Formats: sequence, structure tokens, C-alpha cells
Amino acid sequence: MRYAAGALAAAPAVVVTAHLAGCPVCRARVGEYEALGGALLEGTEPTQMSATALNDTLAMLDDEDAAAPFAPPPLAPVEIEGVRLPDALRGCDIGRWRWIGPGMKMSRVGVPEDPEANLILLKVGPGRALPDHGHVGTEFTYIISGSFSDRFGTFRPGDLAEMDDDVEHQPVVDKDGECICLAALEGRMRFKNVIGRMLQPIFGI
Amino acid sequence: MNEVSSPVESDRKPGVKAGRRLAVVSSMDTGQAPSPDALVEMMAQVAQRRDRQAFALLFRYFGPRLKTFFLRWTPSSAAAEDLVQETMLTVWRKASYFDAGRAGVATWIFTIARNIRIDHLRRQRDPLSLQPEPDIAPETVEDGVLGAERDARVRSALTALSPEQQTIIRLSYFSEKSQTEIADELGIPLGTVKSRTRLAMNRLRALLEERS
Repeated sequence: MRYAAGALAAAPAVVVTAHLAGCPVCRARVGEYEALGGALLEGTEPTQMSATALNDTLAMLDDEDAAAPFAPPPLAPVEIEGVRLPDALRGCDIGRWRWIGPGMKMSRVGVPEDPEANLILLKVGPGRALPDHGHVGTEFTYIISGSFSDRFGTFRPGDLAEMDDDVEHQPVVDKDGECICLAALEGRMRFKNVIGRMLQPIFGI
Repeated sequence: MNEVSSPVESDRKPGVKAGRRLAVVSSMDTGQAPSPDALVEMMAQVAQRRDRQAFALLFRYFGPRLKTFFLRWTPSSAAAEDLVQETMLTVWRKASYFDAGRAGVATWIFTIARNIRIDHLRRQRDPLSLQPEPDIAPETVEDGVLGAERDARVRSALTALSPEQQTIIRLSYFSEKSQTEIADELGIPLGTVKSRTRLAMNRLRALLEERS
């Protein structure tokens, strides 16, 4: 619902957008919440507009008509070192892969509308475990390729894992290949072990 | 409506359509909300004929409501009106993209307003990004051969809630306010806000599933 309302922070919104592209069930759900937005808008108490508002706007319609007709520019695919990424990342600033641990690489993603957004791409080798962690705030993870499992089940390409702040889990990448995923945090990760805590200030996750 | 001069007035076909438009005007003058079909008709006039009177009607109906919506996010009346103007200009520009089969007019305009609010936030944070990118924001109203039906379903589910439940859903949907702030605004304890929100959302979901 926060996504449809436009109230979800920028980084999680990117992750959710990536998932929606391939999930008609969730798109229908978002559509319903958008319809709720429309119904609420109609039911909202009106606030008096200034006397000139309408005519000011009408006067601007000529400029609108004179301007070039709206046409979206052709869009290039988004990638990182040859790996195709979700279109939802278009416009984001994608860094290079950086080593963060054995079999583990990370790339920070800059989101234009929120410089403090906590959005990362993770590439983890087959069979590798991510550090056991909890979260401050909800974590949103979209699986781009490969798969991982935790105590909640297995997550495959296109899946969205949404973990509340009271959840602690230890995702392990399945043995059949490396896993690339896109993760957003509303708050910061809370690592349980010492290594994780030491890495945290260095990598800013 | 007299202050609106409409250059396309002369080539309008007389008959059924004009009569229907007049009916719309009179219902707005008596303060009644136009029906979803009447709104779709206005959008069609804007899209096909670039009809400024129909646009003015949409502006009069949605403008003051959009202003309330934007005032939830900005305290300034002038800033809210600027955003209303930007929303309505986008409605004019993209009118041909409106598809009544996919969503009702209110839902479509709501998603435009929401995206403009997101864009506005980005420009505030990064004033150097002068290049507007209106289409980066999600446009998810789709998939709906059943869009209009879905809108009607949501509307009827919403009105089946108690006024109290409608208020709590409106407050949690239309603002960044925390539940603590909502509790202050309504003058009720935080625990009550939490339980009332949960109950209202569950009831809304149940009503929606009943109707699907």
C-alpha cells in the first residue's frame, strides 16, 4: 500500500518496481491500492483554490500545445559488467563490483531522488552464506539471477523477499550457481557476528 | 464557465453529446460529484477535442481535492497550488494516454499527482537535476481489462466502512505522518490508532475479496 501511495522510500520502491515488472498478481494488488487512492482523492474535503488558479492554468495550455508532443526517449538496457539488470534501475548510478568477503561482491546503487538511499547489488557465490543478520526497518530483496534459501524458503529470479524489522535470517545461496540480487534497506543491517559488525562501517551497509 | 473561451466551440456537433455535457455542468453547479461516467466523458472531450471547457470542469472538481492532497505533504498553500497546476497540465498533456478500460479518471489523476509528488521530492533534494524525468516514477495502472470494474469495487468497499475507518485509512494513506502523529491529530491513544488501522485495513481487504 505504501508503494501505491508513493510513501515508500526511494530504494525499496526501486526493488518493488523490479518485482512488479514480472508479477501480475502484485501488479493487480498495487492497482487496487491505486484505485483506493483515487477513491480517497474523490472523497477528500476540497480546499479553496486561489481565484486565479484556473485561468492561470488555462493560459498555460497554449505553451503545452506548442511544446513538442510527449514522446519517451528510446531506452538502453541497464547492465553491470555485461549482466542485464532490471529496468527499474534506469537512471540510477550503478557502481562497480567490489569485493566484500570470500565469494561476495557488492555494488552500491545511487538513487537520484534520495542520496541517502540504501540500495545495493549483491553477488554471492554458490553455497555461500550471507552473514546472519537482523534489520532496522524492513529489508526488500529482489532476486535477479540464481537463488537463495533461508528459513522461510527458497527465493528464485523475479521473487521479492520482504523481511520485517523483527526478523533475523541467514540466507544461503543455492549450490547450482551464484546469486545476484538487489537489496534495499529502510534502516541499516544489524549483524550478529563480529566480522559483520566490523565490515559495516567500511562498506556503509 | 463564462470566462473560458473555447475556440473549438463552433465546430462542436450539436445533439446528444452537448446535452450530456450540459447535464454535467448543472450537476457540478449544485455541488454534486460527477459520476465516474461523466468524468470519463470529460476526459474524452479533452483527449479528442482538446476541449478547454471539459478541462476546466475537471480542474474545478479535482483541483481543490488535489490541493488538500498536496497540503498533506507541504505546508505552503502556494506550493500546493503549483503542484495542482503541474498535475492538471500533465492531465492535459497526457490525456490521450488515459484509457477508461484500465482505470477510472480519479485513479488515473491520483497516480499522476503521486508521481509528481515523488518528482518534486527528487528536485528538492537534488536541485541540479533540472531535467524532468516524469516517467521514471512507477506507472502501474495496467493489466486491467477490468480497470473500471476494479475502481467501482474499491469505491464500494471503501464506502461500506464506517466513517471512522475511512478517516483512519485516509490519514495513513495520504500522509507521511507516523501513527503517533495521527494519534495526536485525532486525539486518541496510539494503541487505538494501531488497532483501528489494522482492523480497517483487514475489513477493507475482506470487502474487496468478497466483491472480486
